[in-house]
Amino acid sequence: MAACAQVLVVDDHDGFRAFARVMLEKAGFTVAEAATGAEAAETARCIRPRLVLLDIQLPDLDGFEVARRLAGHGAGLVIVLTSTRDASDYGGKIAASPAAGFVPKDKLSGVALRAFLVERPP
Amino acid sequence: MSRLLRAVLVAGAVAAVTFNLVTFYVNGWPGPPGPAIYVITSTLVLLAYLVVGLVAWQVHPGERIGLLFTITGYALLLPSLTNLHYALPFTIGTITASLYQACLAHLALAWPYGRLRSRLDRAVVAVNYCWNIGNNAVGILFWNPRTNGCSAACPANLFLVDSSNRLQSDITNSASIVGICITAAVVALIAEHWWSARGYSRRAMTSLIWVAVPIAAYIGLLEVPGSLGVSNLVLYGIGPLILIAAPAAYAIGMFRARTARGAVGAALVGLEPGPAPALLRDALAKALGDPTLQLAFRVPDHRCYVDTGDLPVDADPLPAGRMMTQLDPGARAVLVHDDELRHEPELVRVAAAAASLALEHSRLRAEIQTQLEQVRASRARIVEAGDTARRRLERDLHDGAQQRLVTLSLALGIARSQAAGSHPELEALLESASKEAREALAELRELARGLHPAVLTETGLPGAVQALVERSPVATAVIAVPAGRFPATIEAAAYFVVSEALANVAKHAPSAAAQVMIRQRGGQIVVEVSDDGPGGARPEAGSGLRGLADRVASVGGALQIDSPPGCGTRLRAQIPCP
Repeated sequence: MAACAQVLVVDDHDGFRAFARVMLEKAGFTVAEAATGAEAAETARCIRPRLVLLDIQLPDLDGFEVARRLAGHGAGLVIVLTSTRDASDYGGKIAASPAAGFVPKDKLSGVALRAFLVERPP
Repeated sequence: MSRLLRAVLVAGAVAAVTFNLVTFYVNGWPGPPGPAIYVITSTLVLLAYLVVGLVAWQVHPGERIGLLFTITGYALLLPSLTNLHYALPFTIGTITASLYQACLAHLALAWPYGRLRSRLDRAVVAVNYCWNIGNNAVGILFWNPRTNGCSAACPANLFLVDSSNRLQSDITNSASIVGICITAAVVALIAEHWWSARGYSRRAMTSLIWVAVPIAAYIGLLEVPGSLGVSNLVLYGIGPLILIAAPAAYAIGMFRARTARGAVGAALVGLEPGPAPALLRDALAKALGDPTLQLAFRVPDHRCYVDTGDLPVDADPLPAGRMMTQLDPGARAVLVHDDELRHEPELVRVAAAAASLALEHSRLRAEIQTQLEQVRASRARIVEAGDTARRRLERDLHDGAQQRLVTLSLALGIARSQAAGSHPELEALLESASKEAREALAELRELARGLHPAVLTETGLPGAVQALVERSPVATAVIAVPAGRFPATIEAAAYFVVSEALANVAKHAPSAAAQVMIRQRGGQIVVEVSDDGPGGARPEAGSGLRGLADRVASVGGALQIDSPPGCGTRLRAQIPCP
C-alpha cells in the first residue's frame, strides 16, 4: 500500500532528518534514515524502501552518484532529490539523473512525495 | 697643436712649394726649363704629403704619423736642391736625392699610428736610412757631374775625389741589388703587419697594402740600373704621382673614422628599441670596424664576464692586444675590443655611450615587463581569491543559515498542521511565520546565487547560462554554448559577462530581445551577448561594465562594447583559453 510505503530519508543534517521523519510519519509513511551516501546504499539494500528522499549535498558522495548506485538496486525504487537550493541551481543534472524528480527542502510534504508514487505505481 | 706650430707648418708648406717651383725654373737658366710636367707632378706630391701631414697632426696630435708625412714631404723637396746653381746645395741635394724613399719605408712600417712596432722594424728602418745616405755619399765621391750627363753649367761636386765615372757606375750597379733587397724586406714586413693585424687595425692595414705595393714597385724600378728602359718622362714626370696614394689612403682612413662616428648612431638607430644584446654587439662591431668586439656582462657577485652567448670572456687580465671599455660606472657591462681602437677614443666613446643607452633601454623594458607580469599575475590572483571567497561564502550560507531556515520552515509547517482545527489563531500565526521563513529562504537563496552561482560549479557554462536565461525577464535565445568544462576563473568570467549583459538589457531595454552565443575557437572563448534595444551604452558611465572589463582582463581577455545609438548593443569578450 502506498499509504504506509517506506521512505528512506538521506541527509547529513540531523535536524532536517528529524523534522522530515515527523512530517512524513504524520503523512502515513514509514521512515528510515541515513546520514551519508554509503549508509544510504547499505540501508536501501537491506530494507528495500519504496522511495528515497535524497539530499544532493552529502559529506561523502554526491547525491547524483548515490542516485546512480541506488537505481541499480531495483526497478520499483523511486528516488526524489532534494536540496536547500533550487532545481535551477543544478541545471540539467537532475533531469539527466535516474531520479524521478526534485523537491526543494522547504517545499517538502507528504503530498509532494505521494505525487511521485502515484505517477509511478509499483 | 698650438697656433704657432700650425702657422709655422703652413708657412713651411707654402715655402716648400714656392721653393720647388722657383728652383725648377732656375735650373733652366740660362737655357729653357724642361717640360712643365716635372714640376706639376713634384708639386702635387709635395703638397699631398705636407697637407695630409698637417691635418693628421691636427686630428691626432698624440700620434707621430702627421710628423712622418711632413718629414717625407720635405724629404721629397731635397732633390730640388740640385736645381740650384751652387755647389753646396747641389752636393747636399745629390746625397739626399733618395732620402724620401727611406722616409716612405719608415712611414709604411709605422702605419697607421706613426709608431714602429718591433725591434726588427726599427732595425730595418735604421738600416734603410743609413744605406740610403751612405750609398749616395759613397757614390758621389766618384761622380763628376760635368762629365756625366750634366752640362758645363752644372755646379761642382764638392766631394769629388776621383773623376773616373766607371767606378761610380760599378758602385751604383752593385748597390742597386742591396737597395732592391731592402725594399723587398720592407714589403715583407708590411705584409706581416697586415697578416697579424686583427679587428679594427686590419682595415687600416688593408688600405696600406693597396698603396704600398705599387709604391714599392715604383721605387724598385728606380733602383734597377737603367730602370728597364723606361723613359725619364714617365719615370720622373708621371711616376711620382703613385706616391700620392699614401697620403690619399690615409686621408680616406681619417674620413672613414669620422663618418664611423655617424655610423655608430646609424647602426643603433637601425635597431629595434631595447635590442637583444647579440644584435647590439653586431651593430657595434660593424660601426667600430672591429669584428672581434665582444659585449660582455659581469656575472653578478663575481669578477668574471660572459659574452652575449653566455660564453666566458677573458677580461681579468685582458689578453695582449685587447682593451676594455666600461659601459657603466660599475663595469657591469663592458666592451672588449682590439686595443688599436685606443687611437680612436672619440669613436669608442660615442659607441660606448650609444651602447649603454641601448642597454639601459633594454634593462628598463625588461624591468617594466617583469613588473607588468607581476601586476597581471597579482590581479589574476586577487580575482581568483575573490572568487574563492565568494564560493566559500555561498557554501557556508547553504550549509548553515539556509539549512537552518529550511528546518525551521519544516518545523513551522509541522506545528501548523498540528494546530490545525484545534487552535485556529495559532494556526494562522504559524502559517504566517512559515511564509516569512520561506521568503527569507528565497531571499537568501538569491543572495547566495549572486555571490557565486552554484549551477556554474555544478554544471559549467551550459547549465549556468540556461539558468541565467530562464531567470532573466528578457526574452533571450541561446545560440551556442560549448559543452565542455573550463578552468573555474574562465568559466566565471564568461558567466559574469552573460549575467551582467542580461542584467543591463533587463534594466535599460526590458522589451528588447537578446541573444547569447559562446564559442570556443583558436585558443580562446568568445562570449557575445547582443540585443536589439536602443543602444548607446557607455562603458565609462557604469561601474558594472568597467568591473566586467577588469574581470575579463584579469584572465588576459578583452571586452568590447559596440553600442551605436538606435542599433542595439553587442558585448563581446575574448578570453584566452589554453
